[in-house]
Amino acid sequence: MDYSRAFKRSISATVAGAALLCSTAAFAGEVTIWCWDPNFNVAIMKEAAARYTAKNPDTTFNIVDFAKADVEQKLQTGLASGMTDTLPDIVLIEDYGAQKYLQSFPGSFAALTDKIDYSGFAKYKVDLMTLEGQVYGVPFDSGVTGLYYRTDYLEQAGYKASDMENLTWDRFIEIGKDVKAKTGHEMMALDSNDGGLIRIMMQSGGQWYFNEDGSLNITGNAALKAALETQARIVNEGVAKPTSGWNDGISALTSGDVASVLMGVWITGTVKSQADQAGKWALTAIPKLNIEGATAASNLGGSSWYVLEASAEKDEAIDFLNEIYAKDLDFYQKILTERGAVGSLLAARTGEAYQKPDEFFGGQTVWQNFADWLVQVPAVNYGIFTNELDTAVTANFPALLKGTPVDEVLKAIEDQAATQIQ
Amino acid sequence: MATTSRSSLKRYYDVNGWLFVAPAIALISLFMLYPIARSLVLSLYSGRGMMLKFSGTGNLVRLWNDPVFWQALQNTVIFFIIQVPIMITMALILAAMLNNPKLRFSGLFRTMIFLPCVASLVAYSILFKSMFSLDGVVNNTLLTIGIIGEPIGWLTDPFWAKVLIIIAITWRWTGYNMIFYLAALQNIDRSLYEAAKIDGVPSWGRFAFLTIPMLKPVILFTTITSTIGTLQLFDEVYNFTEGTGGPANSTLTLSLYIYNLTFRFMPSFGYAATVSYVIVLMVAVLSFLQFYAARERR
Repeated sequence: MDYSRAFKRSISATVAGAALLCSTAAFAGEVTIWCWDPNFNVAIMKEAAARYTAKNPDTTFNIVDFAKADVEQKLQTGLASGMTDTLPDIVLIEDYGAQKYLQSFPGSFAALTDKIDYSGFAKYKVDLMTLEGQVYGVPFDSGVTGLYYRTDYLEQAGYKASDMENLTWDRFIEIGKDVKAKTGHEMMALDSNDGGLIRIMMQSGGQWYFNEDGSLNITGNAALKAALETQARIVNEGVAKPTSGWNDGISALTSGDVASVLMGVWITGTVKSQADQAGKWALTAIPKLNIEGATAASNLGGSSWYVLEASAEKDEAIDFLNEIYAKDLDFYQKILTERGAVGSLLAARTGEAYQKPDEFFGGQTVWQNFADWLVQVPAVNYGIFTNELDTAVTANFPALLKGTPVDEVLKAIEDQAATQIQ
Repeated sequence: MATTSRSSLKRYYDVNGWLFVAPAIALISLFMLYPIARSLVLSLYSGRGMMLKFSGTGNLVRLWNDPVFWQALQNTVIFFIIQVPIMITMALILAAMLNNPKLRFSGLFRTMIFLPCVASLVAYSILFKSMFSLDGVVNNTLLTIGIIGEPIGWLTDPFWAKVLIIIAITWRWTGYNMIFYLAALQNIDRSLYEAAKIDGVPSWGRFAFLTIPMLKPVILFTTITSTIGTLQLFDEVYNFTEGTGGPANSTLTLSLYIYNLTFRFMPSFGYAATVSYVIVLMVAVLSFLQFYAARERR
């Protein structure tokens, strides 16, 4: 047998095959996207994809719906193993984890600094995806927070809407005790095993677990100290119903057990899911901490889109995000009305949808409220160890409830965190 | 036949034999031996994500100074020391009771006690969570009977959370161990019991001096498998606490800590590998001790 001819033939077949693959890739790429939450991120991405394919019919989208923990686990496994062909083209990453991925897997995500106009987005969102002067990712949903409350319960306790304006935490706890005494309902649900409320309060005070340079900011952190003390008072004074886990908290809210909920704007859809509670809810700014520089605006959660550097459809994926998420104002109006998504593109804040009163909230223009608070959210450095610090805080919080002085608790948090972050 | 006349040395050099087991050896090497060796090497490296650097004993030093690791180790040991004896004893007693030939519907009882370990893990976790929530059926029942004055925070109090995990894994695995004992009991000659009965040995005596010694190999087997299972405890804690091991790290186990180090926290693959080897070491030492304690004395 003529081996050299066979060899040549197989080489040419391979080359032809590769050329065929390349040419199809250039003409009609399939953009694979990983994200979580079918009623929110997935649905919104489908809308975005439909808008893009209307103009670019050759592009197809494969939007894969995982649980959030699964997205993170698969992404981390793929990046760590170096098997980049198992990864999607675009992935959704929660803001707290952004720097962790950018720093521990350098070169894995596409830098978009020159490709997208970041001046149009809220600064704090752009900051958290910036590393060494390069911006990665496209800012998506904002976790700007608000305090949703039951007007009927508050009325029974003798409070009007005007009493709920410009709240401090002291006042909030006072009202909570009244509501509990007069209606039997706790003011809020609280899972002490979740650091969410402490993070909300701390960021509203303009600080985070880390300084600008990434070093730990615990024992000297006035906002964290005030947040811990406040949460301990909320528990000890019986203002909160203790819950365990996300679903438990949500059922306390939807079943009408508790009189208010303090969360990111993305909870709106859940609050509104109980049609029989229409007209019984209202929205106000979150209470202020009793420290200097405290604001009534904060952030919880929120996420953004990132393009993988190794993606075969990288340019297409970037163009898609740029066309829809960075430019299409009409898109933002639609996802706001349909899904309650407050994006972080500032220009989208003036649209008609934002002015629309919502009957569920007694005719309040809730979207305008969120848009106003969005610009007041203090920018902080989320750093790369938020999960570690959250664990340290929740692990030491019970000691505070038992009466350990707050400075000792802060010291214990710092000690635990110091061994975790390396 | 030809093969029987061959010496063992010849059989050793028989290529055909090696060819037959080669695929299995290759797969075992690739999927078991290589990962084990690779993870040992990995445990000598430290760093964030893929930025790994050789650190020698660095991870061991970190382990020694890590309060969360010690907490996880302590929790795991507590689960092991309290849960395994309770479960083994209960399984033994249940097996002895169900082995009674005069018992009616014994098949039904056996099935009922065995069912938990084939139940879907996620389904049973969700059910337990709702049963043991603050205003769940367990607290309400205890309150109505008057055993407790105020609801127990099964999922929110550090002490009771541990108790709940122990209750849950005991519920799930007792029936599994019971099946082994039942199978072993079927092999004990009934006449032994009859002879003992005629000699006037009371029923507790027959259980303690006949049943338990006869079951010794099976007890050893179940103790070791339960030890390994408890040291690797992950699913229940992950599902009950949504992966946090809370409240206040009170239910954090070593396996969950490894998961957190790899997937929830800044990925520390090297350090996670070091913690995994702690489990390997503990399982090896405990299994050896159990074999030693149960050895045949001359």
